[in-house]
Amino acid sequence: MTPEDRIVAYLEGGPPEGGARDDRLDLLREILAEPATWAEPPATLQLDGTSTPLDERPPDRMRRGVLTGVAAALLLTIALALMGGSGELPVEEAVVAMAGTELAPDANGTATLRETPSGWYIRLDVSGLPPASEGSYYEGWVWDRGEGVSIGTFHLRGGTDPVALWSGVDVAEYPTIWVTLEDEDGDASASDRVMMMGELAEGP
Amino acid sequence: MDRETLDRFRQGDETAVKAVYQRYAGPVFSVAFSLLGDPDMAADVTQQTFIKAWRAASTYDPDRSLGPWIYAIARRTAIDAHRRRSFRDLPLTSDPATVGEGLETAWEIFEVRLALEQLPEDEREVIRLSHLVGLTHGEIATVLDIPVGTVKSRSHRAHRRLRGLLKHLEEA
Repeated sequence: MTPEDRIVAYLEGGPPEGGARDDRLDLLREILAEPATWAEPPATLQLDGTSTPLDERPPDRMRRGVLTGVAAALLLTIALALMGGSGELPVEEAVVAMAGTELAPDANGTATLRETPSGWYIRLDVSGLPPASEGSYYEGWVWDRGEGVSIGTFHLRGGTDPVALWSGVDVAEYPTIWVTLEDEDGDASASDRVMMMGELAEGP
Repeated sequence: MDRETLDRFRQGDETAVKAVYQRYAGPVFSVAFSLLGDPDMAADVTQQTFIKAWRAASTYDPDRSLGPWIYAIARRTAIDAHRRRSFRDLPLTSDPATVGEGLETAWEIFEVRLALEQLPEDEREVIRLSHLVGLTHGEIATVLDIPVGTVKSRSHRAHRRLRGLLKHLEEA
């Protein structure tokens, strides 16, 4: 067996019985056995902040305060926020681009956030989002990996004037903004029908 | 990648950027996932890495290999994500500047993933079933519904090809 054959055999099956170990080859074998080595990345890269296909798997049923699912991981952030290099939100105002999901591909808009003594005022300017039908409504959320907080509800049946929402939590801690479509069924938890999304981003 | 694509990437051409993404998204995601242990965060880091690469494309020297340049951005982005998480989630007594133990092998992970994606799909699958899933040749033959002899020859060929692609790591 040539030295090359021995290396290939080691890589394939590990050290020979009674033979010396090779740290470098052991490392390569460990890496080949790691799930991270084989995990699939997001399917697409979006550079313009327009609607992007979400994860094909339907998101889990979400509860108020605890949002699950990996859909947000696929959303690219285009922040128009007035952020400094530190990535922290200014006290005055921040603007976030909102994009429609596959449930509302024509929807787009902006969320303007302003800190006030009462909390964060969030003005939502949207277009292309159809009015919620009778018996349903839209709800805004701020979210961060497993935790979400409702910021208010609206329906758009009378037109598309700016929507006033409020956050009682620091939006810097919940940098993703969702708009879901809800049924008037008394269920306070968030539905899995995410219509629009936006995210506060840091600079490079 | 061909020189034309690299030149267009350097000019910020979106099609070229997406071609770079197709080539390096897997290795970047593997590094991020390995360092952070969270697929959602790893996906965020992956997207941020390529946005940063796109924004900084004019600084890339097309005479140098693109892989290490992308890797450096990914590594920094993953470290930043880890620190943000550490500041928020860890007790005050923890050191928020400490990154996961995998940092020292991050480059190897990047290179291994890149090499795996250059293998033919049937060879890559045998390696995956062997190392990740831990199947024997006989079990792989059953899963893939092919003769054991085919598995053995395919496995040997795959590992020999992989060894060739990663030889520079062993010699480093």
